[in-house]
Amino acid sequence: MVDFLIGLFLASLIVALFTTRLFRLLLWYSMNSLMLGILALSIGNSIDDKAMIITGIMTIVIKAIGIPFVLKNLSQKFHFVRQIIPEIKVQYAIMLVPAILVFTFYLSEPITHMIHTNANYVAISISSLFLSLLLMMEHKNVAPKIVGFLSMENALFLLGITATNGMPMLVELGIFFDLLMAIVVINLLFHKEELKV
Amino acid sequence: MNLTLLLLPAIIMFIVSFLKNEKVKYLLAFTSFVILVPIIELFLVPKPYNVFGSYLIADKLDTYVLLVSSIVGIGVTLALLTLDKHVKVSPKAYRKFYRFFAIFWIGLIFSILSNHMGIYWIGLELATLSTVYMIKTNYTPAAHKEAWNYMIVGAIAVSLILFGVILMYASAKPILGEEAMQFDLLLAHAKEIPSPFLFEMGFAISTIGMFVKMGFFPMNLWLANIERASFYPVAALFSGILESAVVVGFFRFSKIAMEVNYNHLFIFVFVYTILTIFIVSFLIFRAKDFMRLFSLSGVEHMALIVIFWVSGAPFAALLHFGAHAFLKPALFLSTGVLESRGKYRIAGALRGYKGKRGQLFWILVSLFLLAIISLPPSPMFFSELYGFGAMISTAKESDHMLAMIGAILFLLALLSIIFYRFVSIYQSMKYEGKVEEKTVYASELFALVIFAVSLMALLLPASLSYLKSIA
Repeated sequence: MVDFLIGLFLASLIVALFTTRLFRLLLWYSMNSLMLGILALSIGNSIDDKAMIITGIMTIVIKAIGIPFVLKNLSQKFHFVRQIIPEIKVQYAIMLVPAILVFTFYLSEPITHMIHTNANYVAISISSLFLSLLLMMEHKNVAPKIVGFLSMENALFLLGITATNGMPMLVELGIFFDLLMAIVVINLLFHKEELKV
Repeated sequence: MNLTLLLLPAIIMFIVSFLKNEKVKYLLAFTSFVILVPIIELFLVPKPYNVFGSYLIADKLDTYVLLVSSIVGIGVTLALLTLDKHVKVSPKAYRKFYRFFAIFWIGLIFSILSNHMGIYWIGLELATLSTVYMIKTNYTPAAHKEAWNYMIVGAIAVSLILFGVILMYASAKPILGEEAMQFDLLLAHAKEIPSPFLFEMGFAISTIGMFVKMGFFPMNLWLANIERASFYPVAALFSGILESAVVVGFFRFSKIAMEVNYNHLFIFVFVYTILTIFIVSFLIFRAKDFMRLFSLSGVEHMALIVIFWVSGAPFAALLHFGAHAFLKPALFLSTGVLESRGKYRIAGALRGYKGKRGQLFWILVSLFLLAIISLPPSPMFFSELYGFGAMISTAKESDHMLAMIGAILFLLALLSIIFYRFVSIYQSMKYEGKVEEKTVYASELFALVIFAVSLMALLLPASLSYLKSIA
């Protein structure tokens, strides 16, 4: 089950890299967050960690539903350009994504020997981090860059769940708070600048 | 009680920022001094002192950094009173600047006092996000672009720090459980960490995040561009408070990393900082305006602080840190006056001051400019003497003595380029260009006087012995 969810997590991020429409990108971000939330619920349930279950529920509510909804509203309010063509051509991106995956598995090999629980997942979270960075780099528009930044938070969250079996609750709450603050700041940044987006 | 008093000026600022009365900002200049009361109290109590359970603990290092950053906060609050006299700022943007400055200050107080890697990161992220809007208060396309730039690059840097924190936490969790987030416990059990490689990898990633935030290689220009585009108090806050919080994090992480494997840490930081200074020295040589010049010089000094710290000269690093934290905000705040006749007019910038205020202003700015290039009796002169001495001692004990001595000589050659550029700029400011009258306001002059007095206080025997006791 966990393998399946992690596979879907990675797949939704890879599909997001090739998306050329903004709302579709938000949908894939939402899917990515949903998989992460279910994963947290699943791991939390198996190790009987209530804090992780709460985190999983919060992830689904805030990241899978709340943030995509807010971003969609923002995009309508400020008339974002909805056609988002990546700067890197598809044929090159198709080669780049597996290269990143292979590279990160190689890079994280010494680490995976040291973490006995969910060892390969650490490699996947590192690759998700690189893929999110790629998402930020391959677009000139601001909206996909924001989604890239949010996906990066998801990659870190995945690392927190898999490498450490969950971070302390206080830290998880702090990260959520900062994420909400980021959305507030992003909203403020768009104000009165709609023509330049 | 102590924590409430520490946060009080920032909380008052946050509340006052919602009031539309423009005169109310004068109240903030007085309330900002309240922060000194709990800090003096912290100096008097035996340390380590638990400010908030085991999450926020004030030790000697924290108390010193908190004092330095609070003085900068007070100075910036004073200088902010005359911001609208030097730049065009709408009343709404002005109020929002105060609001986000308050959030920024709260975040960094938490970061500086934290004994917990998670809280440290949360405070830093809060400060990063609030800075984005402070940059945006300047309603120009350049500031808008740089605010987005900061949002993205700052977020990447902070994410790298969190990524490293998670790896470090994972490396120590088998022996410490959830308490593996606490700096003091990690330091006490550093040698027992079951997977040192994992810790070192986490440390390296976190350090790269912190170095990016301070404008180190390869992101040397991003901070300078942002500071150029935003209002000058933002640059003062960056150099005096934000960088203090980042560097205190580096001190804490590196203390643990020193216990894990000192050689790996030293080589990594040594190469990284020399590379940074190599690039920055040439960028300084080409700088054509005050903001970029001071910003790039800030990167150079942060690199020196880091290299002194890992070379086994924490006293030199802390003295250099304190001097830089007072000098750089003072210089940034004075750009409001220096650039009042045009952004790129270096020639004649120190001419045209009349009256006692004007005289005192140009004398102070001249002293700050000469102190930043380590001319005696600047505290930076002494810190560099101690720092380079420690580097040579480390070189003597290493297996690659000649290579390291060569690197130190190379570093000195790079610093001489920066020295030459600053002296040439000072001469141009004082002896070239037209005499154009410039106005100096009492509040900003008072801020500069506070920085000058603090700088002199750093050289008092009591201050030096306190710094030695931290080391």
